[in-house]
Parts: sequence; structure tokens; C-alpha cells
Amino acid sequence: MKHAILGAALLAAYVGVPLLFGGTPYVMGLIVAALTIAGVALAWALLGNLGGMVSFGHAAFFGVGSYTSAVLSMKLGVPVFAALLLGGLGAAVASVAMLPALRLRGPYFALAILAYAHIFQILATEMTPITGGAGGLLSIPRFPTLFGLEFGGKTGGYVIILTIILLSAFVYDAVRRSAWGLALKAMHDTEIATRVIGVPSTHLKAAMLALSAFITGVVGAFNAHFISFLEPDYAFSSTWTVLPIAAAIFGGYRTVWGPVVGALAIYLLDQLVFKPILPHGHQMVLGVLLCAMILLSPGGLLPVLLRRRRSEGGRHAHA
Amino acid sequence: MIELTLQALFSGLLAGGYYATVAVGLALVFGAMRVINLAHGELVLLAAYIAYAAESRYGINPVMAIPIALVVVASASAIVYALLSRIEQDREINSLILTFGIGIIMTNGILTIWAADIHSTTNPWFQDSLVIADTLFAMNAEVAFFVGGLALMAGVYWWLNHSWQGRAVRALTSNRNAAMLMGVNPRQTEILSFMIAALLATFAGVAIYTGKTVFPSLGHVLTVKAFIITVLAGMGSIHGVLIGAIMIGVIESLTVTYLSASLQELAGMLLFLVVLFVSPSGLFGGRRALAR
Amino acid sequence: MTRTLAKLAATVATAALMVALGGPAAQAKDFLLGSELPLTGNLARVGQGMHEGIAVAIDMANKAQAGKHSFKVSTIDDETSPAKAVAAVEKLIGDGVVALTGGYGSNIIGPASEAAQKAGVVYITSGGVTPDLTGRGYKTFFRINNTDGYALAMIGLLQDMAAKKVSVVYLNKEATSNLAKQVKETLSAKGVAVTMHEFDGSTSDFKPLINKVKLQDRPDVVAMVGYENDYVGILRAAKVLKPDVKAMVGVWSLATSQMAKEFPDLMENVHGTSMLSFPVEFTQPEALEFAATYKKLFNKEPDYLGQFGYVQTRLLIDAILRADAAGTLAGGGLPDELRKTDAQTLIGRVTFDAKGDNPNFTHRMGQHQGGKVVLVWPKAFANGAMRFPATPW
Repeated sequence: MKHAILGAALLAAYVGVPLLFGGTPYVMGLIVAALTIAGVALAWALLGNLGGMVSFGHAAFFGVGSYTSAVLSMKLGVPVFAALLLGGLGAAVASVAMLPALRLRGPYFALAILAYAHIFQILATEMTPITGGAGGLLSIPRFPTLFGLEFGGKTGGYVIILTIILLSAFVYDAVRRSAWGLALKAMHDTEIATRVIGVPSTHLKAAMLALSAFITGVVGAFNAHFISFLEPDYAFSSTWTVLPIAAAIFGGYRTVWGPVVGALAIYLLDQLVFKPILPHGHQMVLGVLLCAMILLSPGGLLPVLLRRRRSEGGRHAHA
Repeated sequence: MIELTLQALFSGLLAGGYYATVAVGLALVFGAMRVINLAHGELVLLAAYIAYAAESRYGINPVMAIPIALVVVASASAIVYALLSRIEQDREINSLILTFGIGIIMTNGILTIWAADIHSTTNPWFQDSLVIADTLFAMNAEVAFFVGGLALMAGVYWWLNHSWQGRAVRALTSNRNAAMLMGVNPRQTEILSFMIAALLATFAGVAIYTGKTVFPSLGHVLTVKAFIITVLAGMGSIHGVLIGAIMIGVIESLTVTYLSASLQELAGMLLFLVVLFVSPSGLFGGRRALAR
Repeated sequence: MTRTLAKLAATVATAALMVALGGPAAQAKDFLLGSELPLTGNLARVGQGMHEGIAVAIDMANKAQAGKHSFKVSTIDDETSPAKAVAAVEKLIGDGVVALTGGYGSNIIGPASEAAQKAGVVYITSGGVTPDLTGRGYKTFFRINNTDGYALAMIGLLQDMAAKKVSVVYLNKEATSNLAKQVKETLSAKGVAVTMHEFDGSTSDFKPLINKVKLQDRPDVVAMVGYENDYVGILRAAKVLKPDVKAMVGVWSLATSQMAKEFPDLMENVHGTSMLSFPVEFTQPEALEFAATYKKLFNKEPDYLGQFGYVQTRLLIDAILRADAAGTLAGGGLPDELRKTDAQTLIGRVTFDAKGDNPNFTHRMGQHQGGKVVLVWPKAFANGAMRFPATPW
């Protein structure tokens, strides 16, 4: 039964959506933007749930991934799809620079990552020969046409980001269920005890940070090639930190799909419903929605939706 | 050369004073409630705009506008507290999102009411220069509010250490359950800390209105700065906030003077990271910041 | 009988004449324009100003074409975000707009105009001054101002002042640093000693920077390139430190009535680019109507952003009407028609070259004098004497 639902969902996502919306580039563009946020939200939730670290600076990974991929493809002629992966790698390498921050707790860690985001942004602004400085990079190469499919267009981009999200969710879930996932959960509860029995907690945490950074970097790289434009303020904008967090919380950050659902809900509602009604005040509505969600259903949207269909007991309780 | 350095130090000191007045309110609430009020910057901004409205509409001197702004900001703070206290689970992260949402509402509210133009005081006294020994220059506003801010912070410090209510706040900060056992009413104490934070925010807002320029997106910038300084100082330390703020102010102005003004922000961030790595719980925060 | 026949003949003849003369142009058309602007976010103030100017152009066009054609504009907020600007452009094109007017910020106009180019829709703006934008050679991209025009004005004024040493204090964003670098190159080539000081947008206390300028550079003139809050910060610091300079010169957003009203003590004797003097002394009929319509719609004096928004839209509307009359509008003839533009406007003569740039654009310099803005450069447009040396302190 579950497989059938999964199959139907995949079909709807890969075929149905392009059929329905492929003709309106405006809506397609919005869906791609929402999925971009969803990708970062997923990575953020992964770090929070598996790594136990809340980050306020995911824009750092997003920006580093964007610039790495853009510069490699523009200056060194690296093919775009390869550049995507290298962008993710670049972000993961950047996370290594953040290793000293791993021993910080809670808000201290969160803010340290924020400081890194600011620093990377300033570096991008000042390293003009490589990054184009404040002016940024125009006309970044778009996705090529492979196997007769034009990946450079709106629908092509949609397919790419959808695949990125699916793969990331798959990896997230796989880690969660694995032995490593168990170790991480235990670490969550009490790090000292797990250290005693030999779990290399710092290594695990570093690995989760790198994984989260990698996913975010790939999403950032995707965005750079999709929009075909990059500049420091945009690549490292706090929007890339804040919206994913809001989306993850809104959708339910303890689940794998919550962040994705949240991102789609928040972004599409805001742009398609609220903006036309309240051209000036629609961001305010977002704020009201967030507050309402926190006060009424702190677990997020997904748990509310799933509550009706919950058959198993505690299996979904923890990440 | 000496003059350049002296002025840089002086400017940094005054800038630190500004940062400190904005940060102390946030630090207080953070300590008392373990809650990071991401709308704090917007409360400061609100006070600044009330001062603007008072001056532009009725010609009221910004200092006289402080009581009016205080009423508004205190009411707003009360609403924030009321909403916050309804959170039951996962307090830290949920209060983050809640106050973040409130911050969005406030920034857009300010944008809607007052539009996006920049504003600052037109009162000439505040803008006149104060010169010491022909080497140190500052605006009257900066010095006045620095001194006022110090006095206010000294008052808060005294209150925290010598009054029953203040000590209740500190007790709550260090050990909530024990404090409750000793007869501290958590709700009352939390509301009190919010109100004191509102007072500080009002003062900071009027200070910014007179000494710098205000515009709607400033709220977010202020919150981030305040948050960074709070963490830099370490939990529950008021004097840490002042010292941390001045450190950042001085490093920034020295960077501007001797390196390049475009690296100002970078310097502050690097300082923040260095301090954290050397002393993970902040400058004065005790040993509780390491991962469990 | 003859009378009736005569009347009938006359009616038929008139009708035939009307059909012959009218043809396609006689059909009253509603033209929908699209506008993508920052109405929220950091550039909200600028977007609002431009929006007003565009509205005035639409209003005046509707009055002039009353009974014949009508114009409407659909505006979408791009929230100062490149991605949302692209989305806005796509939505407007999907709604069937004839052309796009608006946009502010080279980094936002870049992607937005690219989306318009892909759909073959004209995009005209006054908010993107960097060379990169016209460097792309898009057939559908047009702009009425550029960095050169601002730089030439500032350089011209500095030369008239015979400044031997200039300190340039500039924001590290693209448009401002491009301008600063252009000023430096041109002035250095003429033997003027130029020192450059780049600052970050988060700077609120300029005293350390201005102190450096005062004690180390000791220039004749301080040139400022930034935005409103930067100017206020720099001028405040200068007023406190009182460096020994002969003039303070800035670029856009400085010599405006808004600044004169908000910060009168700070602005005295400061120079900035300005197309019009304040209070505006319009003499031409078009300009008078512009000011009157602005007052009627928004109850305030026109500001420079409104001017630009008005001019770009007016030129667009004129081209649309011409293309429509020639019957080429539906077939994509608007870019060519727009390129034939050669008009005298509020900002001077406007023509478009092959890349969509307006090579005639030269700004003018105004100086705040006693709450008014007086045009002081070039001499041909000056309506008052320049006060020099003069500073706000």
C-alpha cells in the first residue's frame, strides 16, 4: 500500500506538476524557488535533528556552494552538473573551517555560524578578481540539454531540484535509520555517556555538519545556475537562513518531509495568495502565520496532517 | 598618528556605548527567561520612530519623548511576553521563531506606517560637536547618551545585585527550580525583566534616533548585533555586555582607521569568533556553554 | 428630395472618409504596461518614488489620449530580490503587458531584463546605471541614464572648482564603486591627486574615516559616493571634525528637497547631482503639467526619482503609440520604434543607441543654499551662483 502511494506521489511530482504548470513559467518559477528553500530547510533540519546543532547561518553554505559552482563553471569551464557537486563539496570544505565551533553549545554555536556567514559574504565582496566583487557574476552558464531534455528551462530546473531534494531526503532517512543514526540519537540525549562507550561524538557531529553543508551547497549551486546571476548580498542573504528555518518549523522539523511541506506552504501561500491581496502587507501575514503556528501547533503542519492517519505509536516521535 | 589613534579609540568607546544599550535589554531577557527575543531590535526601532513622530509632529525634544516611547514599547513588550508565556514545549527554539515572527510583523508595520525614508533628529543641540583638547571629537548626542546609558546600566547592575527583585532575576537565571523553591515567583520576575528590557530598549532607540539614522530594516541589524554581543559577553553578565560592546566598537574603528573601512564588519565578526573559541561560554559566562 | 439625397451623400462620404482615415488607429485601445519595482525591502523608498513618476506619466497620457486610447499600469513588488523580480516580470508578461517600465538596482535589473529579453518584451529603466547592463547588447533593453552621466557631472564640477587634491569616500556596492573608480581615473589623468576610501554599508559612525581624510589626506574637496544614510553619516562626522576642505560633493539622492527638509543644517552648501532646482522652476508646458499632475496625485513636489520614472514611461508610451499607428506593435516593432526616439525631456535630450543606452545623458549639479537647491553646473543650466569655498560648518 505504502509503495503504491509512494509511486503515485513520484508520478505526480515528476509528470503531473510539469504537465499542469509547465505552461506558466511564473508559477513554475515559484515552485522551483519554494523547492530551493525546501532543500535548505531539509539540510537545516538534518543538522538540528541528527547533529543536535541549531544553525543561524546556513546562508554561509548556500553562498559558498553558489560561488564555488559558478566560478568553476565560468572560469575553468567545468560542466555544470559536475560544478553542482563541486559546489556542495566546497560548502562541505567550508564547514571544516567551522570545526572549532563544534564544541560550542546551543545559541553560541548558532551565532558562530552566523558570524561565518557574514565573514564569507565580506570575503566574496572583497575578492573581486575571483568572485566579481560587489557586482557579482552575470550570465552564469545554465544547465545544458541532455538526452533531448532541456534542463536549462523552468521545467528542467524543476526536475533537477526535485531530484536533489529526493536524494537528500533519502540520505537523511538512511542515516537516521542506520547505526550511526542510533548513535547520534543517543548523543543527543547525553553526550558524556556515549563518549564513554566509545562513540566518536565530535567526528559524528562534524560529519553531520559536513553533510548538511554539502546538501545546502548543492542547492545553492543549483540556484546560481538557475537564476544565472549571483552577487554577495544575494548569495549570502539572511533570507536563505531565515526562510528555511521558518519553513522547517512550520512544516514540522522533526520529520524528514516536514521542512519540504513547510517550504512549499509558506512560499507559495505568500507569493500566490497573500501578495496579490496585500501587495504591501503580505510579509506581515507571514509573520502572523508563523506566530500562530508556534502557539497553536508547535510540532508544525505535518504532524497535524498526519495525526489523523497515525496508526503506529511512538515510531514517529523522535527524529 | 597619535591623534588618529586617540580619535579611533574615543569613537570606538562611544560606539560601544550604543551597542551596549541595545544589547543589555536582550541579555537581561536571555538570562532571566532563557529566551532570545529576536524582536528586541524592532522594539528599539519602535522607540526611535515614536521619538521621530513626537519630534516631527509636535516638536517634542527627543529626550522628552522617552516617557511616551516607553509606554508604547512597554505595551509591545507586554504583548510579546504574553505570547511567549503560552509556549509549552521546546522553549528555546519555539520562542526564537515566535519572536522572529513578531519581529517581521513589527518591521512591516513600521514600514507601512512610516514608509522607508531615513530619519534622524533635527534638533541642533544633539548634532553639535563636542571637542576635547582639540583632538577628540564627538557629537553631543553621542556623549550625552553614552553617559546616560552608563548611568542606566549602572542602575540596572545595582538593581540586579542589591534589590530583592533584581536578585530574584539572577536567581532564576542560575537555577530556576531552586529559585522557585526559595519563593521567587517566576512569572512576576520574568515580566519585570521584560519591562526593564523595555526601558533599556526605549533609551537605546532614542539614542539611535538622535545620533544616527533610522529606517525600517534597521531592526533586524540591531537584533543581530545585540545577540552577538550578548553571546560574546557570556550569559547573565551585564558588565560583560558593556565590555564586549566596547571591544567590538574599538576594534571596528581601529580597523577603519588603519586598514580599510570596508573591513569594519569583518573585524567585529572575527573578534567574536576568536573570543568564542578561546572562551566558549563568552567573556564572563562561566562554564556552561560547552556541549554536554 | 435633392436635399435628402445630398444629406445622404454627405453622410456616406463622411463615413467613407472616416473609415479611410481611421483604419486601425481609429480603434480605441487599452494598453497595459507592466512595472516591476521594489516597494518593500531595502530599496522601498526608491521604488515608491519611481512608481509615482510612472503613475504621473500614465495619467497625463490618458488625458492627452482621452477618447482615443487608454493606458494602465500593473505594478508588482519585486521585494528588492532578483529572484522575485524575475518572477514579477514573468507574471506581467503572462498577463499580456505591452512593455515593462521600472526596476531599480543593477543587480536586480540584470536578471529581470534578461527574462524580458527572452520573451522579447521591451524593458525600459532608469535604475540601472552600470556598464554591464548595456554591455549585453539586448535589443529589448533601454535605459535613460548611466554611470557616465553622473561621473561627468561630478568631474565637471570638481574641475570648475580647480580642485588639486580630492578624497573619494565611497560605498563598496557595485554602482558606487564603479562611479568612484571612473572619477578617480579621469581626474588622475588630469593631474589631480585622488585618494580612495571604501566603506561598508553597515558603517554608521564615519568619524574615524573622516578623521583619516582630515589628518592624512588634507584634500581640497571631499567627494562622497553612497546613499542617503551614508551621506548623513559622512556629513555629520565632517560637521563635528571640521576638516579643512573647500566643498563637499556627492552624487545621487543628495541634492533633493527631501534632504533639504529633513536635514537642513547638515546640507547647507553641499553639492549633489540634480536635474531640477528646488523649488522647481518649471517654465516649459510639459514640465508644468508634470508638476501639477504630481501634486494632484500625490500631494507633494516631484522628486528626482519621479522625474526619471516619468520620462522613461512617457518615452515608452510615445513609442507605443507610434508603433501602433504604424501597425508594427503587434509584430514586435516596439524596440525599433523606441530606438527612433529623439526627444527633449525633463532630463534633457534622449536618444537610444544600439545597446539601449542614452549617450546624451549628463547630469547637472545642484547645491543646497538656504533650504533651496540651486543648479550650479553646467553653466548653461545654472540658475544661481555657486558658493565656493563653502561647507556646512
